[in-house]
Amino acid sequence: MSNEKFTDPALDAMDDNLLDFDDDPLSATGVSRKSLVIFFLIDTSGSMKGKKMGELNTVMEELIPEIRRVGEADTEVKIAVLTFSTEVQWMYANPIPIEEFEWARLRANGVTSLGAAFRELNQRMSRNGFLNSPSLSFAPVIFLMTDGYPSDDYKAGLEELQGNSWYKYGLKAALGIGQEANDNILAEFTGSADTVVHAYSGEQLAQMIKIIAVTSSQIGSKSMTLSDDTGKELGEDDVFAAKQKLLGQQIQELVSSQTDGSDIPFDTGW
Amino acid sequence: MIELEIGQEVEMEFGGKAKVLSVIGSGGQGTVYLVRFNGQKWALKWYDIDKMKKPKAFRKNLEDNINDGPPSSQFLWPKYLTKETEDGTFGYIMELKPEGFDSFVDILNTYKLEVDSLTGHALKKNVRFASLSAMVTAVINIVNAFRQLHRVGKSYQDLNDGGFFINVNTGAVLVCDCDNIAPDGSNFGIGGKPGYMAPEVVRGIAQPNVQTDKYSLAVVLFKLLFRGDPMEGEKVVRDVCLTESAELRHYGQNAVFVYDPADTSNRPVRGIHDNVIRFWRIYPDYVKDVFIRSFTIGIADPTKRVIENEWQKLFLRLRLEIIQCGCGRTNFSSMFVQESETKFRCPKCGMEFATMGFSHRTTRLPLYLGCKFYACDISPDSEDFMTVAGELVENKLKPGVLGIKNCSEFKWKAKMPDGVFYDIFPGKGFPVWQGLEIDFGQITAKI
Repeated sequence: MSNEKFTDPALDAMDDNLLDFDDDPLSATGVSRKSLVIFFLIDTSGSMKGKKMGELNTVMEELIPEIRRVGEADTEVKIAVLTFSTEVQWMYANPIPIEEFEWARLRANGVTSLGAAFRELNQRMSRNGFLNSPSLSFAPVIFLMTDGYPSDDYKAGLEELQGNSWYKYGLKAALGIGQEANDNILAEFTGSADTVVHAYSGEQLAQMIKIIAVTSSQIGSKSMTLSDDTGKELGEDDVFAAKQKLLGQQIQELVSSQTDGSDIPFDTGW
Repeated sequence: MIELEIGQEVEMEFGGKAKVLSVIGSGGQGTVYLVRFNGQKWALKWYDIDKMKKPKAFRKNLEDNINDGPPSSQFLWPKYLTKETEDGTFGYIMELKPEGFDSFVDILNTYKLEVDSLTGHALKKNVRFASLSAMVTAVINIVNAFRQLHRVGKSYQDLNDGGFFINVNTGAVLVCDCDNIAPDGSNFGIGGKPGYMAPEVVRGIAQPNVQTDKYSLAVVLFKLLFRGDPMEGEKVVRDVCLTESAELRHYGQNAVFVYDPADTSNRPVRGIHDNVIRFWRIYPDYVKDVFIRSFTIGIADPTKRVIENEWQKLFLRLRLEIIQCGCGRTNFSSMFVQESETKFRCPKCGMEFATMGFSHRTTRLPLYLGCKFYACDISPDSEDFMTVAGELVENKLKPGVLGIKNCSEFKWKAKMPDGVFYDIFPGKGFPVWQGLEIDFGQITAKI
């Protein structure tokens, strides 16, 4: 009778220390979290110099604490920043958890190698690269900001990227800064026009970066939010890219609710 | 959406104005502000009506809820509506979350972030239950809150980890986000999280109701006790990326419980789901069996889902079976060696524990310094599981002598070694001995 409750051989084999360590019902570690990497692709070419870069650096510094709050219990948010000018360069060698992330102020110089940035992103966006979490991941958020026409063959780079499943399922958004940025190219990258926005002034730049970064990380860090009045059995087609569609809707709603900035546009007064 | 400015005044429906002090947070349906109204601080939830499918019906439902009042004191219930603005935007105010409560999200994470207002750096602060008893009490409170809600014919609709605050020292629970609560069968277009939503809602073939609430409740309880997702195992992790279609499959069309006895395809994965693997071994079978039922036959057949009263009974039993050993080991009696029908022994230090049986049930209460029983344990008419009726304490004047203190408001009778039953008045106690019998009135107890 005495050992009735302890017939589990695995339990019998345990020494006291292990038993001690292992069986306290309060000794929980955090629930296993799904990871979400937010990629920022930032144009640091010479044309970004001055007010644009100053504004961008400032808003990114302010933004990090805001994004910190979007991760729920089951999501660990990490940030990776890829800058592209003549060279492409990661701000840090690995994605950094949002709690520890510190924005390193960027400087502008050189030309706009967007195609090279797409290729670099494609290489790192893999299980052996930046998306190496042992547990589940949400599809990444990829946010592109640029102010000019690419100076290299962006199409070839984009084609490589489009073959990447993480890109395919990821949430893509883009911000064109000033008159030179081409929204059609940006829409080629995001896959839809409604996830592309444009900023012509410093005030708009700050607003748009916040809108896109916060909305996309909110949507990206959560499970698919379902509407419950579909009334019919959902299929895979009904939910494919549901988050990307939602992102497009929300960005458009938020953008249209913003008033035009009254300060001087970037492209004048140089 | 129209955001409110700090300092702005919002007119309340029945007069007076609420002044906006700061932003507390924002969610899918709107933003919550800290406001001052009638000289008191409140939380104001201000809706983004563009995101609502039926704002008029939503407001009417909210008004009905305010008039009905909360089902119990465990709900942070809407208190007053604001006036509608010209474009129909509105909000409501509710009491602020009291001090000492942590969000369920932070409990699952085991820490919360506190941002240093000077440097902006986020610091991690531990959030853990102070005792096993507090954790099981929290579970009982959650179950009880939903029992009360369903009793008045309403459903919560979008039950998930954002919906609770818990006091980790006492196990007290506050249910928040009560604005989507609606009479069973009606729905105002709230979405939800696949991990918490019933599979039939994820699949798009049912709307939230009392039965889908029961599924979500089982998920919440599983997460709180086993600290993992009941449907996330090998099958899900193999997909690597949780795309929308993967969610539809794993939480809707083909949801498989990680410990489904008939389907081993989705077992927890070592290194990822260590909590679930560890804790599944600790809990007694009568708890595990009910989770298995919830997440196997309860998936396909909503009518087979576990009712709140059953959860409540089994967790009341679980709380009584906690043993806190003098060596520091605290666990359920099923993790102690059962020496005989009435005795347990600590596998670590060898200490023995006698048990006390109650006349109205078969499970026995292990006796250890600090063990408690509650008002519902000594009266068949009581449902009060929070008020302590009796506690095993050490006599302050005779160190080393253990006895039971009458913490209730009623007179008990206890049998002493001379065979006589003596009156034990509230606040008094009596030593524990081999032949102890207690007469609580309608219920008796015996060592």
